[in-house]
Amino acid sequence: MSAPNQNRPAGAPKVRDWPKHLIILFVLGIELLPLYMMLQISGKNNLMFTENPWLPARLGEWQWENYLFAFELIAPAVANSIFITVSTTVLTLFVALLGAYFFARYKMPFSNFLWAVFLFLMLMPGVANIVPLFMLIKSMNLLNTLWALVIIGISGAQVFNIYILRNFIEDLPKDLFEAAEIDGAGHFKQLLHIVIPMSGPIIGTLAILSFLTSWNEFLMPLIFLKDSELFPIGVALIYLDGEYVKQWGAIMATFLLASIPLIILFLFTMKLFVRGLSSGAVKG
Amino acid sequence: MQKSISTAKALREWRLYLFVAVPLLFILMFQYFPAASAVYHSFFEWDGDDTKRFIGLDNFRRILGDTTLWNSFILIGILVLANVLKLIPSIFIAVMIHRLKSDKAQYWYRLLVVLPMIVPQLVVLFIWKFFFDPNLGPLNKILETTRLMEVLAWFDSTFFAGNTFRTDAPVAWLSQEQLIVPALIIWGFPWIGAVGVLIYLAGLQSISKDVYEAADLDGVSAFQKFLYIELPLIMTQVRLTLILLIIGTLQSFGLQLLLLGEGGGAGGRGMVPGLWMYNQAFVANEFGYACAIGLVLFFFILILTIINNKYVRVDK
Repeated sequence: MSAPNQNRPAGAPKVRDWPKHLIILFVLGIELLPLYMMLQISGKNNLMFTENPWLPARLGEWQWENYLFAFELIAPAVANSIFITVSTTVLTLFVALLGAYFFARYKMPFSNFLWAVFLFLMLMPGVANIVPLFMLIKSMNLLNTLWALVIIGISGAQVFNIYILRNFIEDLPKDLFEAAEIDGAGHFKQLLHIVIPMSGPIIGTLAILSFLTSWNEFLMPLIFLKDSELFPIGVALIYLDGEYVKQWGAIMATFLLASIPLIILFLFTMKLFVRGLSSGAVKG
Repeated sequence: MQKSISTAKALREWRLYLFVAVPLLFILMFQYFPAASAVYHSFFEWDGDDTKRFIGLDNFRRILGDTTLWNSFILIGILVLANVLKLIPSIFIAVMIHRLKSDKAQYWYRLLVVLPMIVPQLVVLFIWKFFFDPNLGPLNKILETTRLMEVLAWFDSTFFAGNTFRTDAPVAWLSQEQLIVPALIIWGFPWIGAVGVLIYLAGLQSISKDVYEAADLDGVSAFQKFLYIELPLIMTQVRLTLILLIIGTLQSFGLQLLLLGEGGGAGGRGMVPGLWMYNQAFVANEFGYACAIGLVLFFFILILTIINNKYVRVDK
């Protein structure tokens, strides 16, 4: 993505921008309404919400105990989610780097065939696999474990990540590898000391995409987990939705707390975030 | 592309195969094996345990007569169509943002567009479920305060049975048969996709100033600018998002599962093919039949993917 100040359109001087601003703000306002509602309802109880559904409560009446309730409920789930997501992201990228290095470094015998084996997966929709995958995980005794989700996450993300990383590694200067070889560095050392340091931005982008995918996953945990103490955020919220007499304030507070890890990630990686999302969508 | 290397060198570098073996093992075991297993088990009657009975093509014969499945394909067709139309607001907003003169404003709007992404998708889903709530849900409140409810009720009683929208009872969006499909379509209004807007903006970046200046000199209207300058430039992106969206919609059933439950809601109106497969496997315990449904779905998506790879070329 190029910087926002390149090639910007210059309308004729008489063209005014404020109607556009109004339209954009109006549409985005509706788009952000769910977020606003989550924020303001999280400080109310049901009675306050019925009396005053739209405006935030006064600070003095803010129902802070909602957040206490939410914290106790969601903290273990957040921990599970972080474990699953971080393990999946790190391992996915590590495994994909190994694969990408193989394809990018030399054209070995069979590498075309192996490449086809990977690419063919792009044609296969995951949805048909769910049932046999469940059986496989069951027979491996991994049902109801977090590792099942990590393993599934890793295997599902290989094609996309190897595809991108291969292109990137092929573009790295060859001299670096040759110099390292003369110094007697093996392939693993070359991967560790040349490829990884030089692919910082692309690895960061892929990491964010992988993180988002894994963080948002709820179908797989719903199918593979049974014990409530193992639930990641998604499944925990599904049970919250079904279990309680609806205290909307407390529920919205839980939603808010469940979003905090992503908010923090977003604050620190805003640029990578935006770029990762655009490139990710282009590559599918 | 790398040059081929000599066999002698390849033999010396045999360790490289260990590198590729790791991801290969993952995909063979957790992608290819389940896929093969799905094909195999679609010829069986299988309750998910040890009792398996070979029944040949019976599962597929049953699919031909399975009205629930075919109805679910009709619904997914409607949803695909709706989702295609839902691309329009994203294109519109991207063009609007791109035409702004101020870079700073462009940057901030871009940030606002991305903002909803930092809330987990499931949370967004549940907030929407809350919007649809009959008693406390904001959607009914908005319709009542703006008096739109009265218009809808009048419309309903004049042209239809008159029991969907009433002024004296709250509208139960997710539990009334005839409202389930409309609710699924309204879901996510105003349908701004952060990813979509970002990639359209990326495409629009390549329009140079001169093009706009020339267009202004010729007195080209705003809509003509869109039609002749902007749309051709983002056509690749639009085609790409379109095909990804269609394939994604065909596979998806999470929304229906969470909003409406395993049965697809009242009267099964919200049943989509993926959900029916899930239902047959994990509710009815007919794993063999579920595998067969999965294969039919796979077949449809495969055709679409091949069409996609043939006609939608995406260059870097």
